[in-house]
Parts: sequence; C-alpha cells; structure tokens
Amino acid sequence: MQKVLIEEFERIVGKQNCFSEIEDTMAYSYDAFPEEPKAPDIVVKPNDYEQIGQIIKLCNENSIPLIVRGSGTNLSGGTLPVSGGCVMLMTGFNKILDINTDDLYAIVQAGVVTQKLADAVAKKGLLYPPDPASLKVSTLGGNVAENSGGLRALKYGVTSHYLMGVKFFDNEGNLIKGGGKPVKLVTGYNLPGLMLSSEGTLGVMVEFILKLVPPPQSRKTLLVVYDDLIKASQTVSDIISSKIVPATLEILDNFTIQTVEKYHHLGLPTSAQAILLIEVDGHEAAVEDEYKKVADICKSLGGQIYIAKDDLERDSLWQARRDALSSLARLNPTLILEDATVPRSKVPAMMQAISEIAKKYNLLIGTFGHAGDGNLHPTILTDKRNKEEMKRVEKAIDEIFEITLKLEGTLSGEHGIGIAKAKYLESEVGQSTIAFMKKLKFGLDPGNILNPHKMSL
Amino acid sequence: MKDNKVDEIVKELKELEPLIMQCSKCGTCQSVCPIYDKDLIETSVARGKLALIEAIYEGRIEEAQRIFKHLDYCVMCTRCKQYCPSGVSTDEIFLRAKSILRKIKELPNWQKAVLKIIMQKPTLVAKTAPLMHIGLKFGSKQVKEDVFKPLFKEFSQRNIVSIKSRPFTSKYGGLNKAKEEKMRVIFYPGCAITYIYTNWGEAIVEVLNYYGVSVYVPKTNKCCGIPAATMGDLDLYKQMVNKNLDWFDSIEDASYIITACPTCQYGLNDMGQKITKRKAKVPMMDIVVFLKEVLSINIEPQEEEKSTLHIPCHYEREKDNMLKEFMSKNIAKDFSSLENQSCCGFGGTFNIKYYKDSGEIPKSKTQEIKEKGFKKLFTPCPGCAMQLSDVLIKENLDTKVMHPIEVIYEGIKKPG
Repeated sequence: MQKVLIEEFERIVGKQNCFSEIEDTMAYSYDAFPEEPKAPDIVVKPNDYEQIGQIIKLCNENSIPLIVRGSGTNLSGGTLPVSGGCVMLMTGFNKILDINTDDLYAIVQAGVVTQKLADAVAKKGLLYPPDPASLKVSTLGGNVAENSGGLRALKYGVTSHYLMGVKFFDNEGNLIKGGGKPVKLVTGYNLPGLMLSSEGTLGVMVEFILKLVPPPQSRKTLLVVYDDLIKASQTVSDIISSKIVPATLEILDNFTIQTVEKYHHLGLPTSAQAILLIEVDGHEAAVEDEYKKVADICKSLGGQIYIAKDDLERDSLWQARRDALSSLARLNPTLILEDATVPRSKVPAMMQAISEIAKKYNLLIGTFGHAGDGNLHPTILTDKRNKEEMKRVEKAIDEIFEITLKLEGTLSGEHGIGIAKAKYLESEVGQSTIAFMKKLKFGLDPGNILNPHKMSL
Repeated sequence: MKDNKVDEIVKELKELEPLIMQCSKCGTCQSVCPIYDKDLIETSVARGKLALIEAIYEGRIEEAQRIFKHLDYCVMCTRCKQYCPSGVSTDEIFLRAKSILRKIKELPNWQKAVLKIIMQKPTLVAKTAPLMHIGLKFGSKQVKEDVFKPLFKEFSQRNIVSIKSRPFTSKYGGLNKAKEEKMRVIFYPGCAITYIYTNWGEAIVEVLNYYGVSVYVPKTNKCCGIPAATMGDLDLYKQMVNKNLDWFDSIEDASYIITACPTCQYGLNDMGQKITKRKAKVPMMDIVVFLKEVLSINIEPQEEEKSTLHIPCHYEREKDNMLKEFMSKNIAKDFSSLENQSCCGFGGTFNIKYYKDSGEIPKSKTQEIKEKGFKKLFTPCPGCAMQLSDVLIKENLDTKVMHPIEVIYEGIKKPG
C-alpha cells in the first residue's frame, strides 16, 4: 500500500491504531476456517463512529477492499482478506448501551462479545437466547452478519428472531438506521433483515437493538443412549412430528462420543452408537407433560433414558456436547467442520449418507450437531499436508453437499457461505437468485469495496 | 538478510510445527488472555502469535526477528494453554520459539548481565542483599509498612516491597528439625521469599515444625530459571532446573518438596519436565495443598477482617476449589473469593519490560476490591503479592496483601 494512503489511515485513527507492518497484518490473515492465509495491507482499529465513516469513505474513493472483523471466529472464511486491503477491527466497540427491562430489549455495539451480553441480561432476570458454540468469543456483529444459530435454536430460533434494529454505514460512509424498538414495525424495507447473513457485503454494522425474553421457569435434561444411529435419528424426526418442540435436541455419533470421552472422562457410554441430548423447558407442568411424551418416543425406538438429577449433572451433559468439536480437533492436525442442514424428517437419511461417504473415501468423520434443527456438523479430520487425502476430502465434501441438496436441504445452517462454500452456492439457489444478489450488492456497493469475493460476489 | 543463520532459525522453528498445527484457530484464547482483554488486537493473543511463527516457517514473513517483539509481549500466565479446547502447548511453543529467535535477536547487554548474576552467582546476590536493603531504604520514600517508592527516575512509578537485610536462607538454611518429627520435607523458597517475603519463609518453616515436619532449606537459593526462559535463554533455564533437581534428589530422607511460589513450581516441575525431560524423585507441591491434603490440618479461622482471595495463574487449576474452601473454613471468618480471577499482570520479567501494560491488566480486579471493601487480599504467590501491593497503593486502597500461612503462623504463636 502506498505510503500516502497509510498516512491517511493514520490521520483518521491515529498511528497507534494503524498497523501496516507484515508482522502485524499477518495476524489477520486467517479466521477459524482452514484456508491458505492471506494478509491484508493494513489493519485499523477505529474508536468512534466518525472514524468508521471516514475509513469507509477512504476505502471507497481509493478502491481498497474493506473487511470488517470482530473476533475472527468465522467458520467459512468470511473475514479472510482474499485480495488484501484494509481489515477494520470492531473489537473496541464493546459497550452494552442499554438493557431495557420494561420493553425487553438491549442496545449493543457490534463488538460486544455474545457471552458478555448474555451474562449482563441474565443479571437482570432476562434471556438472550442465541447461543452459538463460540459465544465466549464471538461478537454480536459477527452473529448478525452470519445469522448465527446455536444449541437453543430449535425452540428459541436464531439471531434473526432477535434483531429488531440496526445502525450501519453504507459504502459511502453514511450512517443508516433500520428497524427500531417497537415489536411491530413495517416502515420501509426491512433493513435489519437485509443485514442478516449479509456477511459484511452490504454495509458496516455498528449497533443493534436486540429482543430479550423471559427465561423459562423450569427444565428437564435427558441423555438418551442408542445402539443404532438410525434409530436415534428416527427419534429426532418422530419427536418433531409429534408436535413437541424441545429447547434443544442434539445428537452425537459413536466416533464423537468416544473422542469426547477419551479427552474429558465425563462417563459417557462409549459403546453407544449414538446419544441424544434433549432438554425441554417452560412452565413446570408443561415440562413434565412434554418430558413424558419425549420419553415414550425414545423408549419406543430402543433408547435408554438417563435424566440429569441436578444442575451439576446437566452442566456435565452439556459440557460433553460443547467439547465435541474441540475433542475431535485433537485427533488430527486439520479439521473441516461442515454445517449442512436438512428438513428434520430427512435427518436419518442424512446420517446414513454421511457414514457411507466416510467409508467410501476412507476418511475420519465425526458427526454431531443440532439434530432437532436438521443442522448436522459432519467433521472431517485430516492433515492439510497430506495432498492425496485432501483430494479425497474435497470429493467427500462435494458429495455431502450433493446429498444435502437432494434432500432439499441447505449448504449452511449457521456458518455462512464466505469463501468456503462460494462455489456451491449457485447449485442451491440457482442462476437467477445469484443474478439478483449481484444486482443488490452492486447497486449498493458499485465499487465492490465491502468484503469482496464472499458468496462469490 | 537471508543468510545461513536465518535459514537455520527457520528450520528450527519448523520443528515446532507439530505443536503449532494443533491450533485450529478457533480463537477461544481471546476469552482468557489478560493482554488481549486490554488491547483487543490479535498480535497480543496466542492464536496470533502462533500464526506468526507459522508464517516464518511457511515463508510468508522473511525477517524472522520481526516477530520477536510479539512473542516477548506475553505475561506467560499460561491461561491460553489451560483453556485451549485443542490442548495446544502455547507456553512451551513460545519459550522455545523465543530461544530460537534469540540467536539473531540478542538479549540487551544489561539483561544479559542481570541474568548471569542472578542465576549463576546466587551467593553474591545474597551477600549484596543488605546493601540493596540499605540502598532501597535511602534511595526511596516509604509509602506504607514494608513498601517503598524508589526515587531514581526509571523506577519512581513503582511501589516496591522492601528487600530484607538478611536473606531467609541465611537464617533458615540447613535442616530445621521439628521437636516430634514425623516427616521430613524440602522447602524451596525461590528468590522472592529468599530476599523479599522472608516472613513467609519463616512462617512456613515454623508452621511445618509445629506440625512435626522437619524442613530442609537450601543454604543458598538457586533461581528456578524461569526468568532465563522468558528472556529466551533456554540453556541457562535448563541448567538452573538441573541444579535444583540435583539438590532435591541428593536429599535421601525428604518425602516432599514444598513450594510457596506457583511460578517456581511451574518452572521446576511442569515446564521443567518438558524442557529437561527430568522430574524430581519426590512429589512437589504448594504449601497450602500440603497442609490441607497431606497433613489434613483443620484449624479455626483467625482472620477477622473482610477477606478475599486472588488465585495465581500458575496455581494447579484443580486445586482452585480446595484453596477457596481452605480460606473460608480455616483462615478467614468473613471471606468471599474474588469474582474476577484473571491474571494479576505481573509476569516477572514482563513487569520489568512492560511496566505500564502490566499495571493496566489488574484494573478491574482492584475495582472489585474497592467496591466490595476488602481489607485483606490473600494470595499464595509472592509475584502476585508484589504486583497487587503496587496496584492497590496506586488506587489509594489500604487493603493488605498476605499469604494465608501468615495467619496460621500468628495462630500458633499465640499462647495456649
């Protein structure tokens, strides 16, 4: 990058918040998606909205790609500076501006860490339900840009169900407001909706109004053990079709169970072919009623039921689920996590297909995930240095996506398209949808400044 | 500047690849890193530092010495390792990488000199302790009991706990026999207790004697070597660990090695084993863990004032709850643990090199102490104690920083 341009950035954010040396920019050459690292030309850390506006303007006028980044936990390469440019850090915008207990909303800046909001809200006796696995680190800006889900999505929905309002800058550095505090609001385009899962390609988000809900009064957590993976998957679709909506309905396959147990010694049944973790919550009487129905379905398909006696046992069960990904990560150097999602009735077929693909390409694939949402996480364990195996991995991924689409599913339930799934996008949405997305994107950002190359734009 | 030396360094860094590749770049370390919490930039946190080492051996950064400053800017609290879902040995990677990079980025001369004297001439340091004690007394002003503010410019921001005129080891060196002896142990005091918190050393020996435990204390304390490791001299570190292990192993009738500095224990035991591939013959443990789990002492709490606890980063994590329980059941009547159990920010050499950053880290902790009105802050680590004394005075708080052993010692000194 030219020295004059660097000086311009320095003038806006100050020298101490501007990084252009290779040993600084290289630390922004990646996110949590395994891909060839690519360093940006410059990294800036603005301190107020005015600086953000000026940076956007500077980038737009000089055709510098602008990649907005929070904690960089993205699993689809959404924050990779593919063609260099400027990475703008939002980590400094980490203030919770208001938690309104009368009208049940919170106003937050984009750099607030999800867990910090959840904790602050809980202290006031309320709940912010979206709980992506990375919530200790991920920022709300990223959550909105990717429309993050989580374990509670089955009953409580994903980030989109909680976004009431948004403030963002457009490509020219103008501050735009969308949505607001009322529960009902239909004035003009649904701009918060436009920003959701836009992956930073349409604007630079700085502030959100988020809906809060009262927490459930009671809950019951079950561990159900199966000697057959397909029966466990069948249980999932049977529960949903009996019109019961648990808060959480998670599945772990045998390989994942064994791996979690190997590293964490939680006392999981390692001979089980699959386990389901189910939590029902709500009013006490309703919880008891739903629990009985769920238990009957599980038993009818050969599941053995264990109920968490207290919060400690409940926590250790959820810990097992949360440890799934990291435990698998310890087995091999490279981990590729997919989040193909199918309609819930297709979960058994999908589980079957994944295990066949693992056999066909002789790969280690652990599968776990939000079975109740049809959102599975087949996780391929490999080594990026093994070129021959990586070819098989690529073929397996192609096939996983092919079967997902055949089952009327989607490429991504919650991780986004980024660069990871860009090449598959058209096969899911079709040519005319891509053309429409392009019209939208280039209408709003003709210079293609905002996070270019993502979603093949 | 591509020459043979650089090629060699790249090759050596490449040997760390199997350890570094375990990092899946999930970013969890951001939630526990005390420096990231303050700076909010990636070069401060383990994931970023690992990526930089990787960038050297993968050829994306050519001048290896450029990344040294980022590796060096680390408290070595090891929280990233403790909480890493993938179990990456960040501490070992950083120490080894720094020592490799030291070959092209030499230690500043003054640091070299200090290291050499502290590590290799412990008797000289012990002999000069009275001089340092006098020097500190005259070259400073007293800010509270036992704490001084040096007058010379570079150190004039600091509140320093005084260096005592007589090192702990010169009074207690050798075997301190208990009257009714039931066991013998070694007590390794480390530098801070030898020269500064000599009263902790005294309390530990006397309390152990009281419970029938005879205590071997080194005649001259040899540094655990951690400062050498963090400055990038792994050879010197290895030497120091070996010297100490030689001495421990030479004592045939000791059943345990007792420490009162979690960082020394980390240096001699955990990291020591990784670097030297050697382990002391008998178990090494913290004094509180020993009192509670080996001697099973059960005393009534004596401390009357509102008390709290800071748990050191290098304390064994699985002993955290034991320590909290010990504090409330056996030490202080009005006790609640700090909610903020993050790093104190000291980090030994980190505090010397990055004093301002080091002081910013515990700000929310001192805030909590202020808001809740704690009068006593207990911590079983002399490093944490020095740092917290300094930052509490800066916040104009009169909270006293103590080791729980001081309360136990007071208790046994009381008649009856």
